[in-house]
Amino acid sequence: MKTIEILVIGGGPAGLCAAISAASLGAKVLIVERDEIPGGQLVKQTHKFFGSEKQYAGDRGIHIGQMLVENAQNDPNIEIWHASTVLSIYEDGVVTVEHEEKHTKVKPEKIIVATGAAENFLGFPGNDMPGVYGAGAVQTLMNVAGVMPAKRVLMIGAGNIGLIVAYQLKQAGVEVAAVIRRSPVIDGYLVHASKIQRAAIPILTRHTILHAYGDGKVEGAVIVKVGEDKKPIPGQEIDIKCDAICLAVGLSPLTELCWQAGCKMAYISELSGHVPIVDDNLETTVKGIYCAGDVSGVEEASSAMVEGRLAGVSAALSLGYGKGAAIGLQKEAQKELRQLRDGPMGNHIRKGLAKMEHNRL
Amino acid sequence: MLDFERGEKIFFSFNGQEIEAYPTETIAAALHAAGVSKLGESPELHRPRGLFCAIGNCSSCFMVVDGKPNMRVCVINVKPGMCVEEQKGKGELNY
Repeated sequence: MKTIEILVIGGGPAGLCAAISAASLGAKVLIVERDEIPGGQLVKQTHKFFGSEKQYAGDRGIHIGQMLVENAQNDPNIEIWHASTVLSIYEDGVVTVEHEEKHTKVKPEKIIVATGAAENFLGFPGNDMPGVYGAGAVQTLMNVAGVMPAKRVLMIGAGNIGLIVAYQLKQAGVEVAAVIRRSPVIDGYLVHASKIQRAAIPILTRHTILHAYGDGKVEGAVIVKVGEDKKPIPGQEIDIKCDAICLAVGLSPLTELCWQAGCKMAYISELSGHVPIVDDNLETTVKGIYCAGDVSGVEEASSAMVEGRLAGVSAALSLGYGKGAAIGLQKEAQKELRQLRDGPMGNHIRKGLAKMEHNRL
Repeated sequence: MLDFERGEKIFFSFNGQEIEAYPTETIAAALHAAGVSKLGESPELHRPRGLFCAIGNCSSCFMVVDGKPNMRVCVINVKPGMCVEEQKGKGELNY
Protein backbone atom coordinates (compact mmCIF):
# COMPACT_ATOMS: atom_id res chain seq x y z
CA MET A 1 0.00 0.00 0.00
CA LYS A 2 1.29 3.43 -0.96
CA THR A 3 1.12 6.19 1.63
CA ILE A 4 1.03 9.87 0.71
CA GLU A 5 0.22 13.12 2.50
CA ILE A 6 -2.23 14.53 -0.06
CA LEU A 7 -3.98 12.63 -2.82
CA VAL A 8 -5.41 14.82 -5.58
CA ILE A 9 -8.02 13.04 -7.69
CA GLY A 10 -8.08 14.58 -11.16
CA GLY A 11 -5.33 16.39 -13.08
CA GLY A 12 -7.38 19.22 -14.57
CA PRO A 13 -7.05 22.93 -13.74
CA ALA A 14 -8.38 22.51 -10.17
CA GLY A 15 -6.33 19.40 -9.40
CA LEU A 16 -3.07 20.76 -10.83
CA CYS A 17 -3.43 24.06 -8.95
CA ALA A 18 -4.31 22.19 -5.74
CA ALA A 19 -1.20 20.02 -6.06
CA ILE A 20 1.11 22.92 -6.94
CA SER A 21 -0.07 25.10 -4.04
CA ALA A 22 0.07 22.27 -1.47
CA ALA A 23 3.51 21.20 -2.72
CA SER A 24 4.82 24.75 -2.57
CA LEU A 25 4.09 24.75 1.17
CA GLY A 26 6.05 21.51 1.53
CA ALA A 27 3.40 18.79 1.34
CA LYS A 28 4.00 15.58 -0.60
CA VAL A 29 1.30 15.16 -3.24
CA LEU A 30 0.13 12.40 -5.59
CA ILE A 31 -2.09 13.35 -8.54
CA VAL A 32 -4.14 10.56 -10.12
CA GLU A 33 -5.41 11.35 -13.63
CA ARG A 34 -7.45 8.95 -15.76
CA ASP A 35 -6.43 10.39 -19.11
CA GLU A 36 -3.06 9.71 -20.74
CA ILE A 37 -2.24 13.39 -20.47
CA PRO A 38 -2.99 15.68 -17.52
CA GLY A 39 -4.42 19.17 -18.05
CA GLY A 40 -8.10 18.27 -18.10
CA GLN A 41 -10.18 20.21 -20.57
CA LEU A 42 -7.60 23.01 -20.79
CA VAL A 43 -5.64 20.95 -23.32
CA LYS A 44 -8.23 21.64 -26.02
CA GLN A 45 -9.29 25.18 -25.16
CA THR A 46 -7.76 27.38 -27.84
CA HIS A 47 -9.81 30.45 -26.92
CA LYS A 48 -8.56 33.27 -24.70
CA PHE A 49 -9.64 33.43 -21.07
CA PHE A 50 -11.42 36.26 -19.31
CA GLY A 51 -10.95 37.43 -15.74
CA SER A 52 -7.92 39.13 -14.29
CA GLU A 53 -4.21 38.57 -14.71
CA LYS A 54 -3.99 36.32 -11.66
CA GLN A 55 -6.22 33.80 -13.45
CA TYR A 56 -4.15 34.11 -16.64
CA ALA A 57 -6.77 36.20 -18.50
CA GLY A 58 -5.84 36.95 -22.12
CA ASP A 59 -3.94 33.67 -22.34
CA ARG A 60 -5.35 30.63 -24.14
CA GLY A 61 -6.51 27.63 -22.11
CA ILE A 62 -4.15 25.31 -23.93
CA HIS A 63 -1.09 27.37 -22.86
CA ILE A 64 -2.31 27.66 -19.28
CA GLY A 65 -2.72 23.87 -19.24
CA GLN A 66 0.79 23.25 -20.58
CA MET A 67 2.26 25.64 -18.01
CA LEU A 68 0.43 24.02 -15.08
CA VAL A 69 1.40 20.52 -16.25
CA GLU A 70 5.08 21.53 -16.54
CA ASN A 71 5.04 23.18 -13.11
CA ALA A 72 3.55 20.06 -11.56
CA GLN A 73 5.89 17.70 -13.41
CA ASN A 74 8.97 19.69 -12.35
CA ASP A 75 7.96 19.85 -8.70
CA PRO A 76 9.89 17.26 -6.63
CA ASN A 77 7.01 17.17 -4.11
CA ILE A 78 4.50 16.07 -6.79
CA GLU A 79 4.11 12.63 -8.30
CA ILE A 80 1.66 12.13 -11.19
CA TRP A 81 0.01 8.85 -12.11
CA HIS A 82 -1.58 9.18 -15.53
CA ALA A 83 -3.88 6.70 -17.29
CA SER A 84 -4.95 5.74 -13.76
CA THR A 85 -8.49 5.76 -12.42
CA VAL A 86 -9.57 6.12 -8.79
CA LEU A 87 -12.14 3.41 -8.16
CA SER A 88 -13.25 4.00 -4.59
CA ILE A 89 -12.74 5.70 -1.25
CA TYR A 90 -13.25 3.32 1.68
CA GLU A 91 -14.43 4.10 5.22
CA ASP A 92 -10.95 3.55 6.65
CA GLY A 93 -9.53 6.16 4.27
CA VAL A 94 -8.02 3.66 1.83
CA VAL A 95 -8.37 4.67 -1.82
CA THR A 96 -8.19 2.08 -4.58
CA VAL A 97 -6.78 2.96 -7.97
CA GLU A 98 -6.46 1.16 -11.29
CA HIS A 99 -2.81 1.93 -12.00
CA GLU A 100 -0.54 0.26 -14.56
CA GLU A 101 -3.25 -2.37 -15.06
CA LYS A 102 -3.22 -3.28 -11.37
CA HIS A 103 -5.67 -2.77 -8.52
CA THR A 104 -3.55 -0.57 -6.25
CA LYS A 105 -4.20 0.78 -2.74
CA VAL A 106 -3.27 4.27 -1.60
CA LYS A 107 -3.55 5.60 1.98
CA PRO A 108 -3.54 9.40 1.91
CA GLU A 109 -3.73 11.68 4.95
CA LYS A 110 -5.87 14.19 3.02
CA ILE A 111 -7.85 13.91 -0.22
CA ILE A 112 -8.69 16.66 -2.69
CA VAL A 113 -11.46 15.58 -5.08
CA ALA A 114 -11.08 17.49 -8.36
CA THR A 115 -12.92 15.14 -10.68
CA GLY A 116 -14.62 17.86 -12.72
CA ALA A 117 -17.81 17.39 -14.68
CA ALA A 118 -19.19 15.48 -17.66
CA GLU A 119 -21.34 16.66 -20.53
CA ASN A 120 -25.06 16.13 -20.26
CA PHE A 121 -26.89 13.84 -22.64
CA LEU A 122 -30.18 14.68 -24.32
CA GLY A 123 -33.11 12.35 -24.93
CA PHE A 124 -34.29 12.01 -28.54
CA PRO A 125 -34.77 9.07 -30.92
CA GLY A 126 -31.48 8.19 -32.60
CA ASN A 127 -29.32 9.79 -29.89
CA ASP A 128 -27.30 6.58 -29.52
CA MET A 129 -25.98 6.55 -33.09
CA PRO A 130 -22.31 7.09 -33.91
CA GLY A 131 -22.11 10.75 -34.89
CA VAL A 132 -23.84 12.09 -31.77
CA TYR A 133 -21.05 13.64 -29.71
CA GLY A 134 -20.60 15.80 -26.68
CA ALA A 135 -19.39 19.16 -27.96
CA GLY A 136 -16.28 18.72 -25.82
CA ALA A 137 -15.51 15.41 -27.51
CA VAL A 138 -15.52 17.07 -30.91
CA GLN A 139 -13.26 19.78 -29.54
CA THR A 140 -10.88 17.08 -28.29
CA LEU A 141 -10.78 15.30 -31.66
CA MET A 142 -10.21 18.58 -33.44
CA ASN A 143 -7.82 20.47 -31.15
CA VAL A 144 -5.92 17.69 -29.40
CA ALA A 145 -5.75 15.02 -32.10
CA GLY A 146 -6.05 17.28 -35.14
CA VAL A 147 -8.71 14.99 -36.57
CA MET A 148 -11.73 16.35 -38.46
CA PRO A 149 -14.75 14.89 -36.73
CA ALA A 150 -17.26 15.55 -39.51
CA LYS A 151 -18.06 17.56 -42.62
CA ARG A 152 -21.30 19.21 -41.51
CA VAL A 153 -22.35 19.60 -37.90
CA LEU A 154 -25.55 20.53 -36.08
CA MET A 155 -24.85 22.14 -32.69
CA ILE A 156 -27.45 21.78 -29.96
CA GLY A 157 -27.07 24.45 -27.27
CA ALA A 158 -25.99 28.09 -27.38
CA GLY A 159 -24.11 28.39 -24.11
CA ASN A 160 -20.41 29.22 -24.18
CA ILE A 161 -19.34 25.67 -25.04
CA GLY A 162 -21.80 25.42 -27.95
CA LEU A 163 -20.80 28.80 -29.34
CA ILE A 164 -17.04 28.35 -28.93
CA VAL A 165 -16.96 24.84 -30.40
CA ALA A 166 -19.19 25.89 -33.33
CA TYR A 167 -16.78 28.72 -34.10
CA GLN A 168 -13.73 26.46 -33.82
CA LEU A 169 -15.35 23.91 -36.14
CA LYS A 170 -15.89 26.65 -38.69
CA GLN A 171 -12.25 27.80 -38.27
CA ALA A 172 -11.12 24.21 -38.88
CA GLY A 173 -13.09 24.09 -42.12
CA VAL A 174 -16.12 22.13 -40.92
CA GLU A 175 -19.50 23.46 -42.00
CA VAL A 176 -21.86 24.26 -39.12
CA ALA A 177 -25.45 23.85 -40.33
CA ALA A 178 -26.90 25.72 -37.37
CA VAL A 179 -26.66 26.31 -33.64
CA ILE A 180 -30.04 25.62 -32.09
CA ARG A 181 -31.38 26.40 -28.66
CA ARG A 182 -34.83 25.73 -27.19
CA SER A 183 -35.13 28.89 -25.11
CA PRO A 184 -35.62 32.34 -26.70
CA VAL A 185 -32.29 33.71 -25.41
CA ILE A 186 -28.65 32.88 -26.14
CA ASP A 187 -27.03 32.21 -22.78
CA GLY A 188 -23.37 32.33 -23.83
CA TYR A 189 -21.24 35.48 -23.75
CA LEU A 190 -22.10 38.06 -26.41
CA VAL A 191 -18.50 38.10 -27.69
CA HIS A 192 -18.80 34.41 -28.67
CA ALA A 193 -22.31 34.79 -30.14
CA SER A 194 -21.16 37.73 -32.28
CA LYS A 195 -18.34 35.65 -33.75
CA ILE A 196 -20.88 32.99 -34.78
CA GLN A 197 -23.08 35.57 -36.41
CA ARG A 198 -20.15 37.16 -38.25
CA ALA A 199 -19.23 33.70 -39.51
CA ALA A 200 -22.76 33.49 -40.98
CA ILE A 201 -23.74 30.48 -38.90
CA PRO A 202 -27.48 30.65 -38.13
CA ILE A 203 -28.42 30.63 -34.44
CA LEU A 204 -31.96 29.30 -34.22
CA THR A 205 -33.46 30.09 -30.83
CA ARG A 206 -36.81 28.48 -29.90
CA HIS A 207 -35.78 25.32 -31.79
CA THR A 208 -35.27 21.81 -30.51
CA ILE A 209 -34.25 18.45 -32.00
CA LEU A 210 -37.02 15.93 -32.73
CA HIS A 211 -34.91 13.00 -33.87
CA ALA A 212 -31.70 12.00 -35.61
CA TYR A 213 -31.69 9.62 -38.55
CA GLY A 214 -29.19 7.61 -40.55
CA ASP A 215 -28.17 4.11 -41.56
CA GLY A 216 -25.80 3.03 -38.79
CA LYS A 217 -24.53 6.57 -38.25
CA VAL A 218 -25.88 10.11 -38.27
CA GLU A 219 -26.96 11.37 -41.70
CA GLY A 220 -29.28 14.13 -40.55
CA ALA A 221 -31.69 15.45 -37.97
CA VAL A 222 -35.16 16.91 -37.86
CA ILE A 223 -35.46 20.03 -35.74
CA VAL A 224 -38.61 21.96 -34.96
CA LYS A 225 -39.67 25.38 -33.75
CA VAL A 226 -41.19 25.47 -30.26
CA GLY A 227 -43.92 27.73 -28.88
CA GLU A 228 -44.07 29.72 -25.65
CA ASP A 229 -44.86 26.45 -23.84
CA LYS A 230 -41.59 24.96 -25.26
CA LYS A 231 -43.67 22.37 -27.16
CA PRO A 232 -43.00 21.68 -30.87
CA ILE A 233 -45.22 23.58 -33.32
CA PRO A 234 -46.58 21.12 -35.94
CA GLY A 235 -45.62 22.02 -39.50
CA GLN A 236 -42.51 23.92 -38.35
CA GLU A 237 -40.08 21.01 -38.79
CA ILE A 238 -36.79 21.53 -40.62
CA ASP A 239 -34.73 18.66 -42.05
CA ILE A 240 -31.01 19.26 -41.57
CA LYS A 241 -28.47 17.11 -43.38
CA CYS A 242 -25.40 16.60 -41.20
CA ASP A 243 -22.93 13.85 -40.32
CA ALA A 244 -22.52 14.90 -36.70
CA ILE A 245 -24.74 16.27 -33.95
CA CYS A 246 -22.96 18.00 -31.08
CA LEU A 247 -24.61 18.24 -27.69
CA ALA A 248 -23.69 21.32 -25.68
CA VAL A 249 -26.50 21.15 -23.17
CA GLY A 250 -24.66 21.65 -19.94
CA LEU A 251 -22.42 19.69 -17.63
CA SER A 252 -23.02 17.70 -14.46
CA PRO A 253 -20.54 17.41 -11.57
CA LEU A 254 -18.77 14.02 -11.33
CA THR A 255 -19.55 13.36 -7.68
CA GLU A 256 -19.55 9.54 -7.43
CA LEU A 257 -16.53 9.48 -5.10
CA CYS A 258 -18.05 12.18 -2.84
CA TRP A 259 -21.25 10.15 -2.47
CA GLN A 260 -19.23 7.04 -1.75
CA ALA A 261 -17.06 8.78 0.85
CA GLY A 262 -20.22 9.84 2.69
CA CYS A 263 -19.96 13.60 2.07
CA LYS A 264 -23.18 15.50 2.71
CA MET A 265 -24.69 16.27 -0.69
CA ALA A 266 -27.41 18.64 -1.89
CA TYR A 267 -29.18 19.24 -5.18
CA ILE A 268 -28.45 22.83 -6.21
CA SER A 269 -29.60 23.56 -9.76
CA GLU A 270 -27.47 26.74 -10.03
CA LEU A 271 -24.37 24.59 -9.41
CA SER A 272 -25.56 22.09 -12.08
CA GLY A 273 -26.75 19.19 -9.93
CA HIS A 274 -25.94 17.25 -6.79
CA VAL A 275 -22.85 18.72 -5.16
CA PRO A 276 -20.90 18.08 -1.96
CA ILE A 277 -21.44 20.71 0.75
CA VAL A 278 -18.12 22.45 1.43
CA ASP A 279 -17.01 25.12 3.91
CA ASP A 280 -15.15 28.39 3.17
CA ASN A 281 -11.88 26.44 2.79
CA LEU A 282 -13.53 23.83 0.52
CA GLU A 283 -13.51 21.01 3.07
CA THR A 284 -16.49 18.66 2.78
CA THR A 285 -18.48 17.37 5.75
CA VAL A 286 -16.06 14.41 5.84
CA LYS A 287 -12.97 15.71 7.63
CA GLY A 288 -9.85 15.60 5.47
CA ILE A 289 -11.73 15.43 2.16
CA TYR A 290 -11.70 18.65 0.14
CA CYS A 291 -13.30 19.50 -3.22
CA ALA A 292 -12.19 21.93 -5.93
CA GLY A 293 -13.44 22.84 -9.38
CA ASP A 294 -16.54 21.67 -11.23
CA VAL A 295 -17.19 18.74 -8.87
CA SER A 296 -18.66 21.14 -6.29
CA GLY A 297 -20.46 23.34 -8.85
CA VAL A 298 -19.93 23.79 -12.59
CA GLU A 299 -18.16 27.09 -13.30
CA GLU A 300 -15.30 28.24 -15.49
CA ALA A 301 -11.70 27.05 -15.48
CA SER A 302 -10.61 30.37 -13.94
CA SER A 303 -12.53 29.74 -10.72
CA ALA A 304 -11.56 26.04 -10.78
CA MET A 305 -7.89 27.08 -10.66
CA VAL A 306 -8.44 29.44 -7.71
CA GLU A 307 -10.51 26.81 -5.89
CA GLY A 308 -7.70 24.34 -6.49
CA ARG A 309 -5.22 26.74 -4.94
CA LEU A 310 -7.52 27.27 -1.94
CA ALA A 311 -8.11 23.54 -1.36
CA GLY A 312 -4.38 22.81 -1.75
CA VAL A 313 -3.37 25.45 0.80
CA SER A 314 -6.11 24.32 3.21
CA ALA A 315 -5.13 20.65 3.01
CA ALA A 316 -1.44 21.50 3.48
CA LEU A 317 -2.21 23.77 6.44
CA SER A 318 -4.23 21.01 8.12
CA LEU A 319 -1.08 18.85 7.92
CA GLY A 320 0.91 21.59 9.63
CA TYR A 321 2.55 23.11 6.53
CA GLY A 322 2.74 26.81 5.72
CA LYS A 323 1.92 28.12 9.18
CA GLY A 324 2.10 31.88 8.84
CA ALA A 325 1.68 32.11 5.08
CA ALA A 326 -1.28 29.78 4.58
CA ILE A 327 -4.01 31.86 6.19
CA GLY A 328 -3.09 34.87 4.05
CA LEU A 329 -3.13 32.67 0.94
CA GLN A 330 -6.57 31.30 1.84
CA LYS A 331 -7.96 34.83 2.30
CA GLU A 332 -6.43 35.93 -1.00
CA ALA A 333 -8.00 33.02 -2.90
CA GLN A 334 -11.39 33.59 -1.28
CA LYS A 335 -11.21 37.23 -2.36
CA GLU A 336 -10.33 36.26 -5.95
CA LEU A 337 -13.28 33.88 -6.05
CA ARG A 338 -15.62 36.64 -4.90
CA GLN A 339 -14.25 38.91 -7.65
CA LEU A 340 -14.67 36.21 -10.35
CA ARG A 341 -18.27 35.65 -9.27
CA ASP A 342 -19.07 39.35 -9.18
CA GLY A 343 -21.30 40.95 -11.81
CA PRO A 344 -24.37 39.70 -13.69
CA MET A 345 -22.69 36.56 -15.16
CA GLY A 346 -21.96 35.38 -11.61
CA ASN A 347 -25.59 35.75 -10.48
CA HIS A 348 -26.55 32.11 -10.63
CA ILE A 349 -23.31 30.94 -8.98
CA ARG A 350 -23.81 33.37 -6.10
CA LYS A 351 -27.37 32.11 -5.75
CA GLY A 352 -26.11 28.51 -5.76
CA LEU A 353 -23.45 29.24 -3.15
CA ALA A 354 -26.03 30.92 -0.92
CA LYS A 355 -28.03 27.68 -1.07
CA MET A 356 -24.86 25.74 -0.25
CA GLU A 357 -24.28 27.92 2.82
CA HIS A 358 -27.85 27.28 3.92
CA ASN A 359 -27.22 23.53 3.60
CA ARG A 360 -24.18 23.72 5.90
CA LEU A 361 -26.43 24.48 8.88
CA MET B 1 -3.10 28.15 -35.32
CA LEU B 2 -2.34 24.75 -33.85
CA ASP B 3 0.69 22.64 -34.65
CA PHE B 4 0.47 18.93 -34.08
CA GLU B 5 3.62 17.05 -33.12
CA ARG B 6 2.48 13.66 -34.23
CA GLY B 7 5.75 11.74 -34.20
CA GLU B 8 6.53 8.73 -36.39
CA LYS B 9 3.76 6.97 -38.24
CA ILE B 10 2.79 3.59 -36.75
CA PHE B 11 0.33 0.83 -37.64
CA PHE B 12 -2.26 -1.08 -35.63
CA SER B 13 -4.99 -3.51 -36.51
CA PHE B 14 -8.72 -2.80 -36.44
CA ASN B 15 -10.98 -5.82 -37.01
CA GLY B 16 -8.00 -7.44 -38.72
CA GLN B 17 -7.39 -4.53 -41.06
CA GLU B 18 -4.17 -2.47 -40.89
CA ILE B 19 -4.71 1.19 -39.89
CA GLU B 20 -2.24 4.06 -39.94
CA ALA B 21 -1.86 6.15 -36.78
CA TYR B 22 0.42 8.31 -34.67
CA PRO B 23 1.56 7.30 -31.18
CA THR B 24 0.35 10.63 -29.76
CA GLU B 25 -3.26 9.80 -30.70
CA THR B 26 -5.90 7.94 -28.75
CA ILE B 27 -7.31 4.82 -30.39
CA ALA B 28 -10.61 6.68 -30.87
CA ALA B 29 -8.89 9.57 -32.65
CA ALA B 30 -6.89 7.24 -34.91
CA LEU B 31 -10.06 5.38 -35.90
CA HIS B 32 -11.87 8.65 -36.61
CA ALA B 33 -8.96 9.79 -38.76
CA ALA B 34 -9.38 6.55 -40.71
CA GLY B 35 -13.10 7.23 -41.14
CA VAL B 36 -14.28 4.67 -38.57
CA SER B 37 -17.00 5.99 -36.28
CA LYS B 38 -18.71 2.72 -35.29
CA LEU B 39 -16.73 1.30 -32.36
CA GLY B 40 -19.05 -1.44 -31.17
CA GLU B 41 -22.61 -2.62 -30.71
CA SER B 42 -25.03 -2.28 -27.80
CA PRO B 43 -25.26 -5.55 -25.85
CA GLU B 44 -29.02 -6.16 -26.15
CA LEU B 45 -30.33 -4.57 -29.34
CA HIS B 46 -27.04 -4.60 -31.26
CA ARG B 47 -27.31 -0.97 -32.25
CA PRO B 48 -24.07 0.68 -33.40
CA ARG B 49 -22.13 2.65 -30.80
CA GLY B 50 -19.65 5.49 -31.27
CA LEU B 51 -17.60 8.01 -29.33
CA PHE B 52 -19.51 10.40 -27.07
CA CYS B 53 -17.58 12.05 -24.22
CA ALA B 54 -13.87 11.56 -25.08
CA ILE B 55 -12.92 11.93 -21.39
CA GLY B 56 -13.16 8.30 -20.26
CA ASN B 57 -16.48 8.76 -18.54
CA CYS B 58 -19.48 7.58 -20.54
CA SER B 59 -18.65 3.98 -21.59
CA SER B 60 -19.91 4.50 -25.17
CA CYS B 61 -16.50 3.76 -26.72
CA PHE B 62 -15.85 0.34 -25.14
CA MET B 63 -13.77 -1.84 -27.48
CA VAL B 64 -11.71 -5.02 -27.26
CA VAL B 65 -8.02 -4.08 -27.13
CA ASP B 66 -5.41 -6.84 -27.29
CA GLY B 67 -8.09 -9.30 -26.19
CA LYS B 68 -9.29 -7.22 -23.23
CA PRO B 69 -12.92 -6.03 -23.40
CA ASN B 70 -14.49 -2.80 -22.09
CA MET B 71 -11.44 -0.66 -22.83
CA ARG B 72 -12.17 3.08 -23.00
CA VAL B 73 -10.48 3.84 -26.30
CA CYS B 74 -11.01 7.59 -25.92
CA VAL B 75 -8.31 7.75 -23.22
CA ILE B 76 -5.94 5.01 -24.40
CA ASN B 77 -3.17 5.91 -26.81
CA VAL B 78 -2.57 3.67 -29.79
CA LYS B 79 0.60 1.54 -29.83
CA PRO B 80 2.35 -0.17 -32.74
CA GLY B 81 0.87 -3.58 -33.51
CA MET B 82 -2.07 -3.12 -31.14
CA CYS B 83 -5.07 -5.32 -31.95
CA VAL B 84 -8.34 -3.38 -31.70
CA GLU B 85 -11.74 -4.97 -32.33
CA GLU B 86 -15.36 -3.84 -32.26
CA GLN B 87 -17.01 -4.98 -29.06
CA LYS B 88 -20.24 -6.91 -29.40
CA GLY B 89 -22.01 -7.75 -26.16
CA LYS B 90 -20.79 -7.16 -22.64
CA GLY B 91 -17.30 -8.52 -23.17
CA GLU B 92 -15.76 -11.65 -21.72
CA LEU B 93 -12.65 -12.16 -19.66
CA ASN B 94 -10.49 -15.07 -20.74
CA TYR B 95 -8.22 -16.19 -17.92
